[in-house]
Amino acid sequence: MSSTDIIADPADMAAGSDPDRTGRLKAARSLGFAILGMALLLAAWWVGGYAVQNNPATTAFADFAPEPALTRLGEMLSSGEAMQMTVPSLQRVLQGMVIAIAIGVPVGILVGRFQVLREVTNIPFQFLRMISPLSWMPIAVMAFATWDGAIVFLIAVAAVWPILFSTAAGLRRVDPSWFKVARNLGARPWHMLFVIILPAISQDILTGIRLALGVAWIVLVPAEYLGVTSGLGYSINDARDTLEYDRLAATVVIIGVIGFLLDFACQQAISKLSWHRED
Amino acid sequence: MKGAHLAVEKICHTYRRGRQQALSDIDLEVKPGEALALVGRSGCGKSTLLHIMSGLLAPTSGKVFIDGARVEAPSPRWVVMFQQPSLYPWMTVAQNVALGLRFTGRANEIASRVPEMLKLVELSDYANRNVQDLSGGQQQRVALARSLAPSPEILFLDEPFSALDAFTRGSLQRDVRRIAKDLGITLVLVTHDLPEAVTMVERAVVLAANPGRISEIVPIDLENRDDLRTPEYAKARSRLAAAYENAAGRGLRPTAEPAPTLRSIGDRQTQTSAVPAAR
Ligand SMILES: Nc1ncnc2c1ncn2[C@@H]1O[C@H](COP(=O)(O)OP(=O)(O)OP(=O)(O)O)[C@@H](O)[C@H]1O
Ligand SMILES: [Mg+2]
Repeated sequence: MSSTDIIADPADMAAGSDPDRTGRLKAARSLGFAILGMALLLAAWWVGGYAVQNNPATTAFADFAPEPALTRLGEMLSSGEAMQMTVPSLQRVLQGMVIAIAIGVPVGILVGRFQVLREVTNIPFQFLRMISPLSWMPIAVMAFATWDGAIVFLIAVAAVWPILFSTAAGLRRVDPSWFKVARNLGARPWHMLFVIILPAISQDILTGIRLALGVAWIVLVPAEYLGVTSGLGYSINDARDTLEYDRLAATVVIIGVIGFLLDFACQQAISKLSWHRED
Repeated sequence: MKGAHLAVEKICHTYRRGRQQALSDIDLEVKPGEALALVGRSGCGKSTLLHIMSGLLAPTSGKVFIDGARVEAPSPRWVVMFQQPSLYPWMTVAQNVALGLRFTGRANEIASRVPEMLKLVELSDYANRNVQDLSGGQQQRVALARSLAPSPEILFLDEPFSALDAFTRGSLQRDVRRIAKDLGITLVLVTHDLPEAVTMVERAVVLAANPGRISEIVPIDLENRDDLRTPEYAKARSRLAAAYENAAGRGLRPTAEPAPTLRSIGDRQTQTSAVPAAR
């Protein structure tokens, strides 16, 4: 707690000086808040559903409401349908991410290390980054033989920038004396890369990957509106066409939950692998 | 392990494409096993000269020879230590110390050499600790062990103790001098701190600034360097202070930040980084 906090944290006050207990209380408290937040979200959904149902103009969409949607979600989970539509999407995101990492990390290192390269690429990269990945859709469709290929390409295009920029920025922040010392101790270029640079910027790379995964997950759904007949985006489109709004809402829940879990996994990886000290 | 012979011939160096002359015509010789200090006011080119001698920086003109061979790149045979320990925080103490051996294909010596080095700097119990858990003085000891592990013939020190408190500084000064003498390593020490020079070296090269050049070479003959209260110590110290003051006065030009000379502040003996008065 910073010294500017005038109001004492109730968890701190209740726990007195026992750090173990303080920690447990803090965890319980943040869990409580998380549950409260979820309850509020659910309530908003319920209110929305109620409003939709009672409005004659929108009553056809009543299945959006939590009750039918969650019931349908339960069925989709037990029948394996949920799994069936998720796996292809995860595969596409994984492939797109692998490509984005394979390009973003090395290019980011080069750009972060060499000033000339940084200056040459700065404007083109900023320019390309600002183009919505979905604008490449027509080109992707022409360039790739399969719909799957086009989707993976769009995901990779969306995901590469956060990784590239985060890697480059991380490298620029590295203490130059780390390179000097390593050079002095006889480091070869591959030592420099694997023993010094990559560990030094691992946190930046992972942060970039975390951001990229968020973007990739967002781009995935509209990208799957393309020709494919599998995946979460396809399911949404399909549910709309068949007017199954409970299935549509259930799919939205699945997308949100998986997105949350992916981000959580990244966060855990970052705090596990990080050598940075909080204090 | 033995010390190497170091010769510097007609070194000139300019920064910013020749617009700023940092060093002009430096000729210098250091005998094997000798301890030499480079002293002079801030900005006179001490660090530049040290970087050039160690091969970390290519001079604009002139040559450096170590044991008769031209120095053109850094090497673990001569190691530089900086003001900041620059340890790698993702490695343990032992891994940091082992780095020079690992880089130079001497991994088979790590098991015996690393404990030996840690013993030398009195940190045997810290081998598996994270370097971020160590105090500043302990970190600088680890950096010393890391520098010594590849058995260097010359140790270059760039104000290595100036960030430490007086007590830690004193004990590290004695340790480095003892270790260098025991192992016969040639020592080149850059310092602002005249008492440090008197304690640690046999010869002090006093540099004048704008451009950096040798103003005077002051021999420091002391029987007993551990007793700071002998008349010989006081004499050596004031002899060096006089040479320093003389060089600083001559080197002064009107600059953006006019540093006070000893003379300008009269007899009041202050201790700032710009004016290291005799203590
Ligand atoms: N990378 C650089 N680019 C341009 N000028 C530089 C650079 N490094 C040093 N200089 C200039 O060269 C001169 C000598 O610098 P140097 O760092 O060698 O001095 P120093 O004696 O080590 O000073 P200090 O005691 O403050 O460390 C200074 O005037 C400095 O401004
Ligand atoms: Mg310096």
